[in-house]
Amino acid sequence: MKLNDNTCNEGTFSGLFKDLSKPIYNFIFFKCGSEAQAHDLVQEAFIKLWQNCQKVPPTKAKSFLYTVSSNMFLNEIAHKKVVLRHAKMQVSNSNIESPEFLLEEKEFSEKVEVAIANLTEGQRTAFLLNRIDGKKYKEIAEILDISVKAVEKRMSQALAILRKEIGNI
Amino acid sequence: MELEELLHKYLNGNATNEEIERLKSDSQYKMYARISEASAKLQTPNFKEENTFKNILENTVDSPKVRRINPIGNLLKFAALIAIIVASFVLITSLDTTISTEIAQKENIILPDASEVILNSNSELVYNKRNWDKERALELHGEAYFKVSKGNKFSVETSQGTVTVVGTQFNVFARDTIFNIACYEGLVRVQFNGQTIKLAAGNKLKIENNKLVLNTQSTSLRPVWIENESSFDNDTLGTVLNELQAQYPISITAPNYINAKRFTGSFTHANLENALRAVCAPMQLEFTIDGDQVRIYAQGEK
Repeated sequence: MKLNDNTCNEGTFSGLFKDLSKPIYNFIFFKCGSEAQAHDLVQEAFIKLWQNCQKVPPTKAKSFLYTVSSNMFLNEIAHKKVVLRHAKMQVSNSNIESPEFLLEEKEFSEKVEVAIANLTEGQRTAFLLNRIDGKKYKEIAEILDISVKAVEKRMSQALAILRKEIGNI
Repeated sequence: MELEELLHKYLNGNATNEEIERLKSDSQYKMYARISEASAKLQTPNFKEENTFKNILENTVDSPKVRRINPIGNLLKFAALIAIIVASFVLITSLDTTISTEIAQKENIILPDASEVILNSNSELVYNKRNWDKERALELHGEAYFKVSKGNKFSVETSQGTVTVVGTQFNVFARDTIFNIACYEGLVRVQFNGQTIKLAAGNKLKIENNKLVLNTQSTSLRPVWIENESSFDNDTLGTVLNELQAQYPISITAPNYINAKRFTGSFTHANLENALRAVCAPMQLEFTIDGDQVRIYAQGEK
């Protein structure tokens, strides 16, 4: 069914929310590390979109939301350390790992989490957009408004710092 | 291909198995791969999607009339949500209408009785559409210019006082502790801090910290800010800097002692450098611009 091509249409708007709310939420969370702040800013960003629904067509909604939430974040002070949740360990069928290996992997994962909190906001956001959200460099470059080369640089820097912090195992 | 290039190919999900093997044969890049794999398994905290959407509905501006909702395949999951949308829209039309402007944005508004309002930057207006024919009362934060059509009493409430009129043109500036009213046509009545003053066309009032500072004549026909300029008449520099931050997306750092100085003059809304120069030069101040950060300091200091 072809949706009305207007952001002010309630069906279109809730469709946009369904597609874009989680990515925007993740984006803010990568920046600030606060669950509450990320929820608040997602809300504010979508409210802004609704208030400007006449001026922002659905195709431009994504970039509008990233820009608006990024600006809103700049206006707030983010002091929280970024603490990510540890995903449930997947039991792999092909490789039955020993308990020692699993434990080592878990400890390693925790070290990675702690080290990520020490990256700069720019490095962390780019790195997690790629690792957790699975975004390609080109898309990250658009979201952060930087060049692909700059994304490459941030990724390299992030990995170098993480490797240094974790130490050689 | 160099290992560094391969790394980025791998991170972008484009590396072949052979290339990944090559990457992992180097101890440094093996570590990078291990870190990358571990990072990919991390998650953000749970996103409360439905709750957030509900909050958005409760906070949005007066919505379009409720149209017949067509069942949409991919919204079936949100059947409950659609029921909330319908109920909320009906609820929202009976609540207050809020119109806000951003930094460097102005807005023209027509009220239900055809009265016109021009809202200056970084300001907010709240009124109730349904009640408008019975009572024309609205709340203002910031600055707006009003052209009120003849009718019932029209009142503008601010945190510092209220302005009431019956068919007239006037400007209200209400930010922090500054309350300035200028009347261009007709008669307005200003109530503040227990006092009431009647203001006729061609006059303006300046109230600072709840005290009347100036009651004088004004020769302009319309406020200057509508023509994209902000004008000041012996106002504090603090007020001027705040207005700069309302018209331009900047953050100003300045020593505290300059805020009490008085400034008479104006600045444009069209060019930040010109605006800053217009304010700083006559006050023996200098400024530096660094992205959206502006620093103001006395000449000679650093």
